[in-house]
Amino acid sequence: MKTIVGIQHRSFFPWLLMGPTLAILLAVGLFPFGYSLYLASTNIVLSKPYLPRVFMGLQQYQDLVTDPDFLNSLKITATFTISAVFVEFWAGLGLALLFKRTIVGKSVYRLGILIPMVIPPVVVGLIWKYLLYPHSGLVTYFTTQVAAIFGLPPVPFLSSPQTALATLIFVDVWQWTPFMFLILHAGLSSLPNEPYEAADIDGASRFRVFRTITLPLLKQSILIALIIRTMDAFRTYDTIAILTQGGPGNATQTFNVWLTNLGFIAFDASRAAALSLIMFVIILVMSFVFIQIFTKTDPLLER
Amino acid sequence: MTESKRVIVSPKSAPVENNWWVHMILVTVFMIAVIPVLWVVMTAFMTKTQTQVMPPEIFFKPSFNAFGVIVRQFGMLTFMAHSIIIAVASTFFSVTIGTFCAYALARFSFPGKEDVSFWILTNRMMPAVAVILPIFMIFQTFGLLDTFVGIIFLYTAMQLPFVVWMLKGYFEDIPREFEEVALVDGDTWLGAFRKVVLPLMRPSITAASIFVLILSWNEYAFALFLTGTNTRTLPPSVVTFTVSTEVSFDLLGAAAVIIAGPILLFVVFVQKQFVRGLSMGMVR
Repeated sequence: MKTIVGIQHRSFFPWLLMGPTLAILLAVGLFPFGYSLYLASTNIVLSKPYLPRVFMGLQQYQDLVTDPDFLNSLKITATFTISAVFVEFWAGLGLALLFKRTIVGKSVYRLGILIPMVIPPVVVGLIWKYLLYPHSGLVTYFTTQVAAIFGLPPVPFLSSPQTALATLIFVDVWQWTPFMFLILHAGLSSLPNEPYEAADIDGASRFRVFRTITLPLLKQSILIALIIRTMDAFRTYDTIAILTQGGPGNATQTFNVWLTNLGFIAFDASRAAALSLIMFVIILVMSFVFIQIFTKTDPLLER
Repeated sequence: MTESKRVIVSPKSAPVENNWWVHMILVTVFMIAVIPVLWVVMTAFMTKTQTQVMPPEIFFKPSFNAFGVIVRQFGMLTFMAHSIIIAVASTFFSVTIGTFCAYALARFSFPGKEDVSFWILTNRMMPAVAVILPIFMIFQTFGLLDTFVGIIFLYTAMQLPFVVWMLKGYFEDIPREFEEVALVDGDTWLGAFRKVVLPLMRPSITAASIFVLILSWNEYAFALFLTGTNTRTLPPSVVTFTVSTEVSFDLLGAAAVIIAGPILLFVVFVQKQFVRGLSMGMVR
């Protein structure tokens, strides 16, 4: 078999190499998980320690799912995650394809494009909070001027339920398209040349080349980029916490914001724990589905 | 020789000459990405009244007042020192430890391999906010709250799944034969790993380290709840400027510059290695 000479019979060896990683992750990952399971099965409200503790079974989960806030948050989180990741993916892929060309000043462009991804999310939140600040923000000022020409009122970027979510999606796209670009750019620059030469000889159209050669070969990079970005968009916290905190009303209350409100404002530790486990399961299923889709359809990727 | 009408852009194709529209798109994207950041940097050099002038002034006499205030009154330089220590240490540990794990997952076949690999990824899935309460309790029990050991350990754990998943792919692309040759020549496993595998992996490991350093430097939620006066890092310190009812945008701008400046400068210097390292592992 294809194992390394001299080591293949020592099956404990890989476990030795993985030991430190697994130990650390067990220490930091497993206890919080178990503790959340315990919390979710009781009725601990941190601000009301006098409440008698009762075993709740699955009651917390049931209360959550039947709460009207749940459907609201599900809709908002799904809209946010899907729209943001969708736009980021295509914009990132488009930019990455542009970078395949020989362009003067490539590294300057690339540096500029990478900037939003590098600065801390907290600072991203602050930047946009400032730019979109009512009356005195740079973007508000200019959009108000433009809107006035057409006789329209100023755009209420973060203060109206109709536009707040779209604004947050825009900020996420601004911040994370660079990440998609980076991963897909890296993937593109490592593709082999031969299929393209073959397609050239066959006279295949550009679109066909893209669909039948570039996309399949890029699968591994696309998978990594999509999984990481979907997981992170689903859990976005820093920018939303700074820009809207879930408001106005609950128009931008994603699961993560709701979770924070339950845990750190209502101090309902049990309800929060139950919600975090529901979120965990959703992310788990999403990642699993992604991996299945991407690895099962392409025998080349099976290792 | 006549050119065929259809041009197929292969990854290593010759230069495309007439690409003014590419420049137009890229300049637009560049401006969208850079102007917001630039504007906030400019704000840092304004006085408080200048930040609220309408229409916004592009030219003004720079003042360093805001920097003076946040350094002297809020002690931002101390927070920066904490940030540097924590980001560098956690990057070092997570990359060192994660490299071996990624190697094992890429090289050996053993029962349960796929499960282990997926389980490692699941550790990135719990929302940070959800993990904070249990972690807070553990830290309290072991006296790790507001200590460098505690937060570095936590960041190391937080970055490990990312390091392992990223490097695993790159290790898989290095042919096994390279190590086998070294082993046949009488090297120990560690010798082969050090002399053959590591040099090939250096660009990818560098890229992973840069990534992890950025993520650790920028981390907010854990730092907000688990660090105190002794270990406070830069991102949570900024909350100080937003909670007050009247926001001072000059101070905010200066704080943004101090938080994002070091990491931006760092990326300017390592940009080439970063991008090359990400693509290089996959080159066959």
